[in-house]
Amino acid sequence: MRYGPLVFLAAFFALAVSWFGMVYTPQIQLGGAVQETNSVISSDLYPSERPGLARQGLEVYRENGCFYCHSQQVSQKGTLVDLFLTDAGKTNMAVANALNEEHVGTGTFSGPGIAAGLPKAIARNLSMERAQSLAAILKNNGAKSEMHLVPIGADIERGWGVRRTVAEDFIADATVMPGSQRVGPDLANIGARSPDLNWQLVHLYNPKLVTADSPMPPYPFLFEEKKIGSHPSPDALRPVGKFAPRAGYEIVPKPEARALANYLVSLRADTPLYEAPLTPPPPPKAATNAPAATNAPAAK
Amino acid sequence: MNSPAKQPVAGAPRDTELKDPTVPIWLIVVLFLLLFWGAVYFDDHGGWFEKQVYTPYVSADQLKDFQVGGGPNPFEQGRVIYSKTCFACHGANGMGQPGNVPPLVGSDWVNEPQPGRMIRIVLNGLQGTGLTIHGQPFNTGTAMVPWKSFSDEDIAAVITFVRGNPDFKNHAPPVTPEQVKAIRDKIEGTHPGSFSPAEIEAVNPAD
Repeated sequence: MRYGPLVFLAAFFALAVSWFGMVYTPQIQLGGAVQETNSVISSDLYPSERPGLARQGLEVYRENGCFYCHSQQVSQKGTLVDLFLTDAGKTNMAVANALNEEHVGTGTFSGPGIAAGLPKAIARNLSMERAQSLAAILKNNGAKSEMHLVPIGADIERGWGVRRTVAEDFIADATVMPGSQRVGPDLANIGARSPDLNWQLVHLYNPKLVTADSPMPPYPFLFEEKKIGSHPSPDALRPVGKFAPRAGYEIVPKPEARALANYLVSLRADTPLYEAPLTPPPPPKAATNAPAATNAPAAK
Repeated sequence: MNSPAKQPVAGAPRDTELKDPTVPIWLIVVLFLLLFWGAVYFDDHGGWFEKQVYTPYVSADQLKDFQVGGGPNPFEQGRVIYSKTCFACHGANGMGQPGNVPPLVGSDWVNEPQPGRMIRIVLNGLQGTGLTIHGQPFNTGTAMVPWKSFSDEDIAAVITFVRGNPDFKNHAPPVTPEQVKAIRDKIEGTHPGSFSPAEIEAVNPAD
């Protein structure tokens, strides 16, 4: 061992450098993140602590290795701007002419027409520079405009989220589950996509009840097959066809299944943040997207 | 005495050894150019380890440009400022402390259509006797300290919050940073210290 001290020093140095780069620096950078710093739109803290059952569900998620196949991170390629005219000002003609000179949109604007139906989008999918210059032109002509931010990217097109995931999204969790592979869909916003607890339970019991060719394994051990007593359990699943339980029995979710479903429903990262700005879509006017009233899966 | 090994083998190429073992100068130049390009690329796209800069944004300045999603809400900003600063004396419910700190709930000065008096109080503070609100005397044993170190935006936000807060039963119109700036400029030289209740009473709220 002539080089013993040298080998030791080299190993120590290599480990120290990686500790600095991968533990200490991120801790300095992000360790101080707190909930309240980041509310742009409302005074509500983001992210809120998960309710108790959902916290237990995180452990079930971990135990069952859901993170091997599911990521919880949405990527984003860019941010485009939709420019909305909110006030056409007093000289509509000047505004319309200025917009026509800039060749905004596909058609041409007319003086009287431009003030109709405000606020309205006059140009979509602009770069920030272009949107800013157009907004300045509108302002010079006495009109007012509003920019709506539209994050874009493959994940967002798939409907997996409305913006990219950032570190702030994870600070309420003691164990973060960002995942690394995408055998299944990304779950960063599964609570926004499928807010129905019963849907989640049915899907966990056997994903093929929901999607016929789902590659996800079933998790029947999170459920109990119970003999129906004097009254059927109120929260029993009612799988149909070949997934149906034996006659006189019912499928009841165990506490683990309920916790996991609550955790999944609590997963959503769609609040606008300073570091991930977006313009939230307007709230729906009528309650047309009410969750299904039945807990039975749709018959195929 | 020559060793036979030194003799060149017949038929072998003669120049198998490097004539010049140093690195060619063009390679050094190329490596430096690559390093320079890397540094420039990092500078343009790295975000300089700013914790709030993620792709697709490349710098904190660019990220600031994108803060347009409806814009910050002055009322909600004001709520945050109030809950960090003002609540210590005026209380989370705006009721103040009897005989000591005047309530903001339903106060005349708070609810005036023109915010001149309130802006002055927040900017320079209030101290002295002779204050009566809702028939209750306040001797302001704890003087209100000046908050002129706050920006115009912050003062406008917190006044907007107090004046428009339905929980405080106040329904006065919002205040703009420009109004705060106008009064700040006006009293900057003429009245550097705290106001007394009588002085505030004498102020024209629209001025």
